[in-house]
Amino acid sequence: MQAKAKGRAARLYLWKGYGMGLLFMLPWIIGFAMFVLIPISWSLFMSFNKVQVAVGGFKYEWVGLRNYRDAFLKDNVFPIELITYIQEMMLMVPIIVIFALLIALMLNQKFPGRFIYRALFFLPVIFATGQVLSELFLQGAGDIPFLEQYNLQPLVEEYVGKQFAETVMAVLGKAILILWYSGVQILIFIAGFQTISPTIYEAVRIDGASPWDSFWKITLPACVPFISLNVLYTIIDLFTFPLNPVLKHIKDNMFKVDTGYGYASALAWIYFGIIFALIALVLWLFSRSLKTRRAHS
Amino acid sequence: MITAMKSELSKASRSIRGVLWGRRAQKTKMLVLGRSLSDGLLAKLVIYLLLSIVAYLYLQPILYMVSTMFKNMSDLLDPTVKWIPREITWENISKALKGLQYPEALRNTALISVTCSLVQVIICAMTGYALARLALPFKGLFTALIILTFLIPPQVIIIPLYVIFSKLGLLNSLFVFLIPALFGQGLKGALFILIFRQFFKAQPPSLEEAAKLDGASTARLFFGIMLPLARSACLVVFLFSFIWYWNMYYEPSMFLTKGFTPLSIRLDMLEEVLNPSLLGNTRTIVNPITESTKMAAAFFIILPPIIVFMFLQRWFVSGIERTGIVE
Repeated sequence: MQAKAKGRAARLYLWKGYGMGLLFMLPWIIGFAMFVLIPISWSLFMSFNKVQVAVGGFKYEWVGLRNYRDAFLKDNVFPIELITYIQEMMLMVPIIVIFALLIALMLNQKFPGRFIYRALFFLPVIFATGQVLSELFLQGAGDIPFLEQYNLQPLVEEYVGKQFAETVMAVLGKAILILWYSGVQILIFIAGFQTISPTIYEAVRIDGASPWDSFWKITLPACVPFISLNVLYTIIDLFTFPLNPVLKHIKDNMFKVDTGYGYASALAWIYFGIIFALIALVLWLFSRSLKTRRAHS
Repeated sequence: MITAMKSELSKASRSIRGVLWGRRAQKTKMLVLGRSLSDGLLAKLVIYLLLSIVAYLYLQPILYMVSTMFKNMSDLLDPTVKWIPREITWENISKALKGLQYPEALRNTALISVTCSLVQVIICAMTGYALARLALPFKGLFTALIILTFLIPPQVIIIPLYVIFSKLGLLNSLFVFLIPALFGQGLKGALFILIFRQFFKAQPPSLEEAAKLDGASTARLFFGIMLPLARSACLVVFLFSFIWYWNMYYEPSMFLTKGFTPLSIRLDMLEEVLNPSLLGNTRTIVNPITESTKMAAAFFIILPPIIVFMFLQRWFVSGIERTGIVE
C-alpha cells in the first residue's frame, strides 16, 4: 500500500519535472499535430481514393491501390522522369559534396583577402533557393559554353556508353547549377573544420607527416559526419528543387480533371518513399563506416 | 705553404658559400612550397586561381543580370554587344518596378520574412532547449519526428494544408505563414530546432546549475540567460530563415495568389502583366521583349537580402563557426 503510494508520488514528481519541458515543447506539439500529422494522414488517405472536387468540398471514391498501379502502368511520363531524375541525382550528389569539400578546404586556408572570397561564396546561400535563379536559368545565364563549342556529346558517348551518355550530358549541362547548389554545403564543411583542433596538425607535422598525409589521415576522417550531413542535405535539397521535373509533373496532375488530387497524392507518396529509402540507405552506410572505423582504432 | 693556405681558405669560403646558397635555396623552397600545404606561394597561387574561377562563375549570372538590365532592344538583339550596353536605359527598371508594384510587394515580402523569422528564432530556440536540457518524456521520439518533418517534401502535404488554411481563413494573408511559424512548423523549422538543440547541448551545464541555485525559474533561466547566450545561433537561424522566407516560391504560389502577394509571385506573373496578350504557356520561351525588364525585376528582388547580408556578413560567418551547428 505504502509502496504504491510512494510509486504514485514518484511518478507525480516525475511528471511535475516534465511539466516545464512539455510546456516548452507545447507549441511544436500542437503545430506538429495541426500542420504535419493531419495533412500527412489526409494525403495518405487521398492517395487511395479518386478525389473529385464537388460543391461543398471533396468527393472520395475508394479505389485501393489503383492510383499507385496507374502511376507505373498507365502514366507514360512519371516513371521515366522519376528514373532519369534519380540517375541524375546519383551523379550530382557526390559531385556537389566533393566540390563543396574542395572549395571549403581552400577557403579554410589562411591567405590575404580570404574574407572577400568567403563573402563571395555565400552568394549562392543567399539566392540559390529562389525564383530568381530559375528565371536566370530560363534565360540561359547558367549555360556553360564549352558543351556546344567542343561538341562533347560523341566523346561522352564513347567513354560511358550510349545508355548513360544522356545522364552525363544532362549533369554537365547543370554544372553551374551544381556550383550554385553547394552554398550551404560549403558552409557546413567550413564550420566542420573548426571542430578539428589545430594542435593535431601541429603534432603530425612535427612527426614528419606531409600535408597530403594529414589530409587523408586527419581531415578526411574527422569530416565523415559532415560529409554524411552534407549528403543528406543535398539529397533533400535536390528533391525539393524548384526546377525538378517530377514535382512539376505532380503539380500538373493535381489540376487535371481525370487524375486529380488522389492520383497526385499517390505520385507524391511514391516519390517520398523513394527519398526515404535513399536517405535510410545513406544513413545506414555512414553509420556502418563510423562503426568499423571505431572498431579499428 | 701560402698557396696551400690560400687553397684551404678558398675551399672553406666555397663551402661556406655552398651552405649559404643551400640555405637560400631552402628559403626559396619554403617560400614557394611552404611548410604545410597552406603557406607556400605556389599553393596560394593555385588556390587564388581556382577560387577566382569559381567566384567568377558565381558572379557571372549576377553580372549578366545587371548588364541585361541596362540594355535596350537593339543592344539586346545585337550579338556584338555582350556585357556593356552601348547606352544605358533606365526604362527597364521603371517598367519592372511598376510591373512588380515594388513598394507594396517589398513591404509584403519584408513583413513575412521579418516577423516569421523572429517568431521562428524564439520558438525553435525553446523547442531546441527543451530537447537539449529539460526533462521530457519520449525525447527520442520527438527528435525522430522533427527529423521526419524535415524530410517530408512540401508537395506531399500541400493540398491538405491548403484545405486546412482555407478552413481557418488564413489564405492570402500574412498569417498563413505566421501561424505555422508560431507553432514551430515554419519554413525549415525542423533544421533550426536541431541547430538550437546542438548549440544548447554544447553549453556547459554549470551556468544553469548556478542560476537554479539562485532560485531562477526555468522560464527566467531560458529567456534571461540561455537565449542571450545563444546570440550567435539566433543570428544564424534568423538570417537563414530570413533568406529562405524571402526566396520561397512554392508555398506562396499556393497560399498567396491574390491580394497579399510577395515579390517571387509577382516576378512569376510579370510576363502577363507586361504582355496581357500573351496568355498561356509563356514560361518556357525566352521573350526578348521582356527579358531586360525581367532581369531588372530579378535584380531588385535580390537587392535587399544582399544589402542585409553585406552588413551582417561578418557576424554570420563567425556565428556559424562558433555555433557548432554541425556536430
